[in-house]
Amino acid sequence: MTITRRDLALSSFAATALATPALAQAEPIRIGWLAAMTGPSSAPAVGFNRGVLFAAEAINAAGGVRGRRVEILTRDTQGDPTKAVNATQEMISQLRVHAIWGPTNSGESLATTAIMARAGMPNIHPCVVDSLIDARRYPNAFRIAPSNTQWDDAVRGYCLNRVNARKVAVIGDTTGYGVSATNASVAAFQRDGAEVVYKANIDATQPDMTPDMLRARAAGAQAIVIWSVSTGMIARMLNTRAAQNWDVPFVGHPSLSSGEIAGLIERPANWEKVYAIGYRSCSYDAAGNLPPRTADLVSRLRGKVDLRDTLLWWVACGIDAVNLVAKAVEASNSTAKEAIIAHWNSLNAYPGYFGEYTYSATNHDGYPVADVVMSAANSARDGAFTLAPGYG
Amino acid sequence: MLASILASGLAVGAIYAMIGITYNTMFATSRVMSFTAGQLGMLGGVLGSLFLLRLGLHPVLALGLMVLGCAAIGVVTEIVAVRPVLKSLDQHLYVLTTLAMALLIQQFTAIQWGTEPQPFPRLLDLTIGGWEEKYWLPVATCAVTILGLEYLYRRTLVGRAFVAISEDNFAARALGLPERNLRIASYALAGAVGGLAGFSGGQLLLAFFANGPLLNFYGFIPVALGGLGNNRGAVIGGIALGLFQQAANFWVGGIFSSVAVFTLFIIVLLAAPQGLFGATASRRVWWRRSSEGCCPSWRCLALASPCRSPATSITG
Repeated sequence: MTITRRDLALSSFAATALATPALAQAEPIRIGWLAAMTGPSSAPAVGFNRGVLFAAEAINAAGGVRGRRVEILTRDTQGDPTKAVNATQEMISQLRVHAIWGPTNSGESLATTAIMARAGMPNIHPCVVDSLIDARRYPNAFRIAPSNTQWDDAVRGYCLNRVNARKVAVIGDTTGYGVSATNASVAAFQRDGAEVVYKANIDATQPDMTPDMLRARAAGAQAIVIWSVSTGMIARMLNTRAAQNWDVPFVGHPSLSSGEIAGLIERPANWEKVYAIGYRSCSYDAAGNLPPRTADLVSRLRGKVDLRDTLLWWVACGIDAVNLVAKAVEASNSTAKEAIIAHWNSLNAYPGYFGEYTYSATNHDGYPVADVVMSAANSARDGAFTLAPGYG
Repeated sequence: MLASILASGLAVGAIYAMIGITYNTMFATSRVMSFTAGQLGMLGGVLGSLFLLRLGLHPVLALGLMVLGCAAIGVVTEIVAVRPVLKSLDQHLYVLTTLAMALLIQQFTAIQWGTEPQPFPRLLDLTIGGWEEKYWLPVATCAVTILGLEYLYRRTLVGRAFVAISEDNFAARALGLPERNLRIASYALAGAVGGLAGFSGGQLLLAFFANGPLLNFYGFIPVALGGLGNNRGAVIGGIALGLFQQAANFWVGGIFSSVAVFTLFIIVLLAAPQGLFGATASRRVWWRRSSEGCCPSWRCLALASPCRSPATSITG
C-alpha cells in the first residue's frame, strides 16, 4: 500500500486532534498568585507566600493532582493597584492561569475584582472590605478570610458579652479605612443598645494622645475600641493610658498585636489588657495548646517554614488557598473556570487549616464568624496568640 | 489639662519653630522656599534612632553624625534642586524641584528604613519638675538653636556674610563675597537645624518616614505667620501654633483641630498678608528719562514716588 502525501497530512491532523485532551490532562495546574511581596504592605503577602510554596511543594511531592503538577505563577504587585491590574491582565490573557489567589490587600482587590469577574476567573482572596464579595456581581470571587463586618461583630461581641462594657469609646485614624470602620462600628454598637460615649478619628501622626484619652475617660468609657493600622498611634495611646493610671481595656484591629508596638511602648506592662482580633484556629488555649489540627500543621511546618517573624494564620491561609484550587480540580477533574467555581459553590464546612469554609451560589463569605475571636495582643509566640480572657 | 496643653504645645511648637527656621535659613541665601525642610526634620529622627538604637552609638556621637548627615542632605538639596533653577526664580520651578527632592528623600527612607514608626530612645531620662524629657528637650534645643544663630549672625564674619547675602546678594557679590559657597553653607546649616528639630522631637514624633509632610505643613505656618525670612517671627509663630493646636485638640479634638489651625492661619494671613512680623516687600522698578529730565514711569507716578535714577526700590 502506498502512502500519499494526503494520507500523511490527514493522519497527522487526526493524531494531533486526538492528543490534545491528553496534553491538557498532563499540563500543570497554573495558579496565579498576586502578592504584594515588597512595599509598605508586604508583611502579610510574605507570610501567605510561605504557605503557598509549602502547599504546592507538598502536593507535587505527593504526585500532584491526578498526576498534574501545581505551578505557582507569582507576580509582585508591590501593594500598587495599577501593578495588580497589569499582573491580573497578564495572568488572564498571557499566562492563562486556571485560578487566581490574591491580591492580599483591599486597595488592590478593589481594582482587580471587576477585571477577574469579566473574565470569569476563579478568584480567592483574603481582603476584608465587604463590597469585594458579591455573589451576584462577582460570581467568581470567594473570600477565604473574615470580612470587615465579621471583624466588627467579633469586637463588639467581645466588648458587650465578655468585657461587659456598656459604654465604649470608638477611635480610628483619619484614613478612609479608619473613618469608615469607625462609623460602622459606632452604628453597630448603638444598634445593639450600647452607649458610644466618645468617637474620634485621630491623625496617626498626632504626637500627643492625651486630649482624646482624657475625653474618653471623662465620658466614662469602659472599653476603647480601636480601628487603625497605625502602630505609632496605638503605642502612643497605650503609653498615655499608662500615664493616666487607667486600666481600661483596648479591643480592636489586629494591628493592636503588631510586633512593632513592643518597641514603641515605654514599658511592657503598657501592652496588658489589649485584645486584638485573632482566629480560633491559630490561637493558644489557656493551657498554651493550639487546636490539634493546627498543632499538626505546625509540626509539619517545623524546619521548613519560619513562623517567628510572621503570623501563623497568614501561612495557614496561603496553604488553604492552594489546597482549595487543587481540591476543585481533583473533584471536578477539570481546570475549566466554571468547574472550579461550581465546586467551590458546593463546599460545606471544608476543613482548611485556617478555618472551615462554607460557600454557596449566593454566599461567598465562607469564613465562620464564630472562629473570629479576640487574642491577648502581647502574647505572640511562633506567629500565634493566646485567646483573650473570657473564652472557654 | 492646662499643664498638658502647655507641655505638649510648647514641645511641638518648638519643633515647628525649628522647621520654620530651616525654611528661613534656606530662603535667606537663595530666595527659594525649599520643601525639603520637613524631610530634614524627619531624617533627624530616623538617623537619630538609627545611630542610637540600631548601631548603639553614644548619644553625643549619634548627635554629631546626625547633624553631619542632615547637613549633607541640605548641601545635596542645594546642588540638585536649587542651583539649577536659580536663574529662573520668577517661574517658581523650585516648587517642583524641591518637592521632587522631598519625595525622593521620603521614598528612599521608606524603602531603607521601613514604613512603620520606630522607637526613639530617651537621651537623658531627666524629668524637670514633672516636665518629661520628651517635652522639654525640643524647647531647650530650640532655645539653644536660636542663641547659636543669633551669635552666628551678629558676632561672626561668616554670619554677617549670610546676612549680607540675604539683604542684597547683588551688592554682596559686588563686594566679593563668595555667594555660592555661602549658599551651600546656609543649606548645610539649615540641614543641621532641621535635623536637630527631628532629633530633639524624636521621642514625641518617633522615627517615622511619614513625619516629613507633617513637618513641612506645620513648619511652614510659622514662616507665613512670622514673616518670610524672620526667624524671631518663626519662633513666636511656631510656639503660638503649637499651643493653639494642642488647645484645639482638647477643645474640639481629632481632625477638627487641624481645621481650627488652618482657619486661624487663613484669618491671620487675610489680616496681615506679610505675616505678623514681616516687613513689606520691595520690588525694583525702572525709570526712563525725557527731555524734561527725570520722568518716572506710570507706576511711579501712581505711587507718587520721589524721582530717583536709574533704578530704585519702592514699597509695593
